[in-house]
Amino acid sequence: MKLSDRVTGLFFCGLGGISAIAGSKLPPVPGQEIGPSVFPMVVGGAMALCGVMIAFGIGHKFEEEAEADLAAVGMSEPEPTRGPIYSLRLLVPPALLAFYVIAIDQLGFFLTAAAMVFVLSTMLGGRLRLSLPLALIAPIGLHLIFGKLLRVPLPAGLIPLPW
Amino acid sequence: MTRITRRAFAASTAAVATSAVLGLRPSHAQAAYPSRPIQLICPWGAGGGTDATARIVGGLLEKEFGQPVNVINRTGGSGVVGHAAIAAAVPDGYTIGIITVEISMMHWAGLTELTPKNYTPLALMNEDPPGIHVKADGPYKTVKDLADAIKAAPPGKFKCSGTGQGGIWHLALVGWMQAMGLPANQVAWVPSNGAAPAVQDLAAGGLDFCTCSVPEARAMIDAGKVRSLAIMAPQRAALFKDVPTLTEAMGVNYSTGAWRGFAGPKGLPQPIAEKLTATMKSVYDSAAYKDFMASRGFGTVWNDAAGYAAFMDEADKAMGVAMKAANLAKT
Amino acid sequence: MMNIISDAFGLVFTTDVMIAILLSSIYGLVVGSLPGLSATMATALLVPVTFYLSPIAAIATIISASAMAIFSGDIPGALLRIPGTPASAAYTDEAYAMTRKGQAELALGAGLWFSALGGIAGTLSLMLLAPPLAEIALQFSTYEYFWLAFLGLMCATLVARSSPVKAIVSMLLGLMISAVGMENAGGIPRFTFGLPDLLGGIEPIPALVGVFAVSELMRAMVSPEPPQLPRRKFGSILAGQLKLTKKYWWPMTRGNIVGIIIGVLPGAGADMAAWVSYAMSKRFSKEREKFGTGHVEGLVEAGASNNASLASGWVPALLFGVPGDTITAIAIGVLYMKGLNPGPTLFTEKASSMYALYIIFILANIIMIPLGIWMIRGASFVLRAPRAGIMPVILLCCAVGSFATGNSLFAILTVAAFGIMGYVMEANGYPVAAMVLGIVMGTMFEQSFVTSLIKSDGSLLPFFERPVSAVLAALAIGALAWPLLIWLWRRARPMPVRA
Repeated sequence: MKLSDRVTGLFFCGLGGISAIAGSKLPPVPGQEIGPSVFPMVVGGAMALCGVMIAFGIGHKFEEEAEADLAAVGMSEPEPTRGPIYSLRLLVPPALLAFYVIAIDQLGFFLTAAAMVFVLSTMLGGRLRLSLPLALIAPIGLHLIFGKLLRVPLPAGLIPLPW
Repeated sequence: MTRITRRAFAASTAAVATSAVLGLRPSHAQAAYPSRPIQLICPWGAGGGTDATARIVGGLLEKEFGQPVNVINRTGGSGVVGHAAIAAAVPDGYTIGIITVEISMMHWAGLTELTPKNYTPLALMNEDPPGIHVKADGPYKTVKDLADAIKAAPPGKFKCSGTGQGGIWHLALVGWMQAMGLPANQVAWVPSNGAAPAVQDLAAGGLDFCTCSVPEARAMIDAGKVRSLAIMAPQRAALFKDVPTLTEAMGVNYSTGAWRGFAGPKGLPQPIAEKLTATMKSVYDSAAYKDFMASRGFGTVWNDAAGYAAFMDEADKAMGVAMKAANLAKT
Repeated sequence: MMNIISDAFGLVFTTDVMIAILLSSIYGLVVGSLPGLSATMATALLVPVTFYLSPIAAIATIISASAMAIFSGDIPGALLRIPGTPASAAYTDEAYAMTRKGQAELALGAGLWFSALGGIAGTLSLMLLAPPLAEIALQFSTYEYFWLAFLGLMCATLVARSSPVKAIVSMLLGLMISAVGMENAGGIPRFTFGLPDLLGGIEPIPALVGVFAVSELMRAMVSPEPPQLPRRKFGSILAGQLKLTKKYWWPMTRGNIVGIIIGVLPGAGADMAAWVSYAMSKRFSKEREKFGTGHVEGLVEAGASNNASLASGWVPALLFGVPGDTITAIAIGVLYMKGLNPGPTLFTEKASSMYALYIIFILANIIMIPLGIWMIRGASFVLRAPRAGIMPVILLCCAVGSFATGNSLFAILTVAAFGIMGYVMEANGYPVAAMVLGIVMGTMFEQSFVTSLIKSDGSLLPFFERPVSAVLAALAIGALAWPLLIWLWRRARPMPVRA
């Protein structure tokens, strides 16, 4: 996902511009000279300006210096080099969160959480010996902390926990 | 507030801790409503006045019902989010909520489709009138001084705050201006994130005066930084006897107030609604509720389901008129 | 006087208060260390419990739980690069870098030790200086808050090792995100795209969890399991802290002072204190180039400032009923509920209760040290555990924790979206911490800016007229112009070629 500064700079320039314009179109508040449109216009304008600066490479030198300092203490991370299909794995954590939102009301907390834990654990290279017990224990433990102790309403669904 | 004895506390802590750890809960036979925990949705944040009211009533309901009543704060959108959550809940009596004066205002401003008609009213339990507060070392000693200065100044010169744009205290200001025969924009409204920051800004010299309830300004008043000149109510408040009403102080007859009541989603089965209203009545009559509200200086009023429905109907119409007059309603 | 103090000791040293302090401390440590749960949430979730407690025990639970939660927010930050609270987001990268260098115990020990010292310093300020500090707070109108927020936002360029322009863009993006919703001066829905869930705006916690925790999980998906840190005994946590205290006594004191002052100002609070102190530490350090590579100095100052602001935040709350931050806002509710109505009479008529409160503050910060050591030792197992065992639990915490902030499923989708955003930003050199700062400060910045303009009828003059705002304006403009001058100066001279 490494993009050139030109691309990201122009993206922020566009985003800032659009926000400023959208902000200026907000309806005025009756009886107020200054309303909700001022802030997006100021912030959007500043963002567009900075976007242009990035696109022209201003301040890039600092990044090189910072990377050099990090590399000097052995902290810089190598870019992963694998195929595009492998990169799709990136989307697994957000997808699992979306699954939680969709499934929680039907399946209930225990099943949904167990499925999430099992999938992620397996995909990170965990063996069944690890991922199966984890998928059993983690939802129960978190349900105790959140559902019981903190009284967060977690739906029971298909398998209600016995408390 | 009854003090819990040390031993009882230690025992209850231990019990709470054990039951939390073991996940135990005393089992109840599947009997009449309520047979499982009730959720009480509060559209405002933890620690505020609405939250406190919800929690004291929730706690007392819990004692009456023998079932947990969990107060859940669904905040955001100046109350829209929480009010919508109450209206959208399953009408089985296990999700109820505290609804506030904003429900009779927000739909006029075009912020939501929700009106009081989207709820099953249960009970009205509290109403607070707005006060008029100035900086203690400022030039205004009486509300008449302030009113004269406002009349003499060009429109927009005086700045007042207390809540967000179009909130209940903003309407109170507009109502007061109109009762004095002044235009709605005679005083400029400075929107704030609630009464506390507004009162603080008043004390810091950033505003000319504030309209918000007396309890909300109370600590600053006690600290001698802010003075209450009058309240917009038919009679004086029990805890603040030395603050006159507008009628007494300057012969202007205007009163309004922010109210809080309990309601469920529309279509709550009648036996359940009746049971809730009856239980709330015994909560309202309990010494614990009265003591708590008195200690915070909150006003108490009672209206049962039918009375509350009629009250909201009337309040809704009145708010519509007031907001149109103040140019705050969506056209 | 003496019998007031002995009364206060009598109030505190009872079984129920002691149990309350111990249990709520453990609770605060656990909740604060879970990704997705902040100190504010820990406190809010305690309110129903305080209902059944005696007044002193109720206040004790709030004080101890919030102090512990603020500290333990550092633990997942240091060990996993997932900050537990917005405050610790300021120095998470630093602490994580130390862990990677094998200095986890030093980083966490510094967080613990200087948090405890900061908490005690803040308490002393509360005891000795409450009235004058409260007077400072009352000098702050919206004009002063505007400059304060402005100064806070400028820290964005200092906390990250990146291009300052990119840091500013990230910060502006955070401000833009804070503009979503209807919490603006007009109460008008803004950038909500017709979604009712966006009316309430985007909460800092789901955003924080997304850009740090979820993006970290995403990176884990495509990177090989990092080499196990060399197996070695987890060293002593407190060893070396006395040496650090001696070496960095001035940054520590400065952190305490800045924390106390920011804490006293209603609306600023611990989140901002940590950022400002970390940035100041970097700005005035003799070893600036080491910041960001695992250097303890910034942690000392930020930790000292964090907990100091937490204690001094009680000053306006106790004297005027004006909350210093979200935690004291909740505490005020509890105080009222327990008949300890805030106001000056609390200091005269209920003096023994006040002293009891001071004693609880000191106690909480003292027992923070042994409990914190246990917590750090317990948590350090994540350094040895395989990724496949830790990451799934974190994902689940993210989901449930962010759900709990508003009991809405929409927050979980927010977390997912911010995860993707954080990953892309990080990969392109845009510091996510700066964006979090923008989101945290956004509402205060806009509110103070717009209401000031309304009050001044659009004129900019009052922003400079009032004495305190003039001083703050000079500071802000000076701080803004300084790097620009340096930059121009550096450009005017030929650049030495870096190896």
